[in-house]
Amino acid sequence: MHEFLMSFGKMLESTWWGRGVRMTLWGYPFVQLIHYSGLALWLGTNVALDLRLMGAGKGRQTARELRDALFAWNWIAFCIVVFGGILLLSGTATAYLSNPAFEVKLGVFAPLALIWHIIVQQKARSWGETMDTPLVAKFAGALEMLLWICVVTAAVEIPNY
Amino acid sequence: MGNFFESLEHVSWVTTIGTTGWLYSGISVIHYFSLFVMIGTIVIVDLRVLGLAAKNQGLAQVAETLFPWTWTALGLALLSGFLMFTTDAGDYFPDTVFRVKMTVIFFALLFTVLVKRNVPRWDKEPMISIGGKLLALASLVFWVGAILAGVEIAAISGLG
Repeated sequence: MHEFLMSFGKMLESTWWGRGVRMTLWGYPFVQLIHYSGLALWLGTNVALDLRLMGAGKGRQTARELRDALFAWNWIAFCIVVFGGILLLSGTATAYLSNPAFEVKLGVFAPLALIWHIIVQQKARSWGETMDTPLVAKFAGALEMLLWICVVTAAVEIPNY
Repeated sequence: MGNFFESLEHVSWVTTIGTTGWLYSGISVIHYFSLFVMIGTIVIVDLRVLGLAAKNQGLAQVAETLFPWTWTALGLALLSGFLMFTTDAGDYFPDTVFRVKMTVIFFALLFTVLVKRNVPRWDKEPMISIGGKLLALASLVFWVGAILAGVEIAAISGLG
């Protein structure tokens, strides 16, 4: 598995975008900008729904209405995040793919958080039909926020490993 | 003036934060998470003003739902940012890229507040004026600029 990841990493590093990120002064901050801008929209729309499911800010709209209003930009943001993430990865892919914090981020927390997000976003339609959300929705929203915090924590730890 | 910021680095709780890995990392996580939530919620409102997001909802409805999180997240972002600043204050304070970031954030916040103040009026209008849309666009652009300035600090100055 490790050898496969390393050859995959080398392949990414040899692409024109991988070289661009690695060898230009402006490349790396620019792809960070893409990844972080996407994250702002992605996490912003996720957390807004999570907080609403937890019962905060009710009275203005149901959780279902909020979910529907934010749906499109939530997934546009996800695409930007992944696009930026692949570009970031490609710069020094073999280093990232050997980094334990990165492996935990992308291999454990991100998939868990993403799957949970999809479930919560789906269930929000029924949980959020009325102004008050059921108890399970409150826990679900809190858990989603926690999982995304874990993803960010793993990402912050990458430079330390 | 520079000496003041240098000496700030040596205050006891500042050195504790600067030298305790998990503490500094934790503050970083708070900074990143809160700035993402802050900017994300602002951008959704700006996109609504521009007519690009949440079109089936009223502007005031979207704004009133999201702005409380914006301000909460702003408070956390400022606090965590300040704590990280203190650990290397002597180097951050004179740094040009850091000063650019602070300036950009100032203008981004200004445009955001202007958007917020206009929401009640715009909500009643059938169509938001070009001027209003330009304000929202300015808010959006300046916040993206703030992110760029933030990542450039490490890239250009090697700080953080």
